[in-house]
Amino acid sequence: MSTELTMTLEVFRYHPETDSEPRFQAYEVPYDEDWVVLDALNWIKDHVDGSLTHRWSCRMGVCGSCGMMVNGDPKLTCAVFLKDYYPRPIKVEPLVNFPVERDLVVSLDGFMDKLEAVKPYIIRGDVNDTSGGEYLQSPAELAQYKQYSMCINCMLCYAACPVAGHEDEFLGPAALALGHRYNKDSRDQGQAERLDVMLVGEAIWGCTFVGECTVVCPKHVDPAGAIQQAKAVGAQEFFKRFVAPKGAGV
Amino acid sequence: MSGRYHRPHGWAWFLERPGYIRFMVRELTSFFVAGYLIVLLVTLGRLGGGEAAFAEWLNALSGPGWMLAHVVALIAAVWHSITWFGAVPQAMPMYLGEKKLPAPLAAVVMGYGPWLTVTAVIVWWVLR
Ligand code: SF4
Ligand code: FES
Repeated sequence: MSTELTMTLEVFRYHPETDSEPRFQAYEVPYDEDWVVLDALNWIKDHVDGSLTHRWSCRMGVCGSCGMMVNGDPKLTCAVFLKDYYPRPIKVEPLVNFPVERDLVVSLDGFMDKLEAVKPYIIRGDVNDTSGGEYLQSPAELAQYKQYSMCINCMLCYAACPVAGHEDEFLGPAALALGHRYNKDSRDQGQAERLDVMLVGEAIWGCTFVGECTVVCPKHVDPAGAIQQAKAVGAQEFFKRFVAPKGAGV
Repeated sequence: MSGRYHRPHGWAWFLERPGYIRFMVRELTSFFVAGYLIVLLVTLGRLGGGEAAFAEWLNALSGPGWMLAHVVALIAAVWHSITWFGAVPQAMPMYLGEKKLPAPLAAVVMGYGPWLTVTAVIVWWVLR
């Protein structure tokens, strides 16, 4: 390792028991071409300041827990290299549009509620009846939703979405894409139940198609596309419910 | 919520990312499209007002101010259309079996293709 070379990480710090406002703390870290930003944060935690708090797990872009703002961009810190910024300093902040719990850790509560709200599981009436065997699905049917099933819940898309930052009722990119993923699954029968949630107030209509969720998504989920498709389904459903309200026997 | 820090949102949020600026430009171009529609409606109204009123209106429209306004509205409308045709493959993906049609091709099949066809028909109809 070329230990002589160093670079600066400016890290957002906030400890609620002592800080009323967040502050930035600069750390000199060894510069290594092979290091990602997460390596530098772990190095700080191990060698300089054990009180630095951040989330991570897999180090390979799978668990979705290491998302942070890196020089203002929402990134998986295990997937951005120091060499892409060297020798300029790197500013690391917690994901925007989420309340900060401590240092680089944000609160997941609202996000989890939104994920849960879209009923992200297969809904069927005959779930206990296995006499028919597996629910078969063709590769073409799989292709209809596979892209939307690749989400790792990293929340980068929420940090990139101005609507998610301003409108609490908005379910947000990942949750809506996940709802759409199940609606598009040929084995599922729960679309009406999900639309009951998605079509309320600003839940889906809050989306103005800024499209930055898709730009930042590390898994190429294209939540913006999923939301526009779900809106089209929703608009048809809205019209159907308007002309034939539930219970009208149509 | 105590113990949690909520970062404030600035009013200038739309300057925070280049993508936000592109979004605002796209949205603002719709005002020019709407403005042009109003001009078109007024033109139709004048047409109903008789030949003299219509000629007077057309004469007014040929002034440099109106010419410039039309050029600006045209540029805005073209840009608006390009952004929407760019969004078509996302909003209406086309599948051939397991394969999704590549975005540029989908934009041509569902956006530019029909647009140019309709335009060509109108041009032919006007010039014939
Ligand atoms: S849609 Fe993409 S950016 Fe959003 S949570 Fe899922 S993987 Fe992350
Ligand atoms: S540590 Fe798991 S995605 Fe980065």
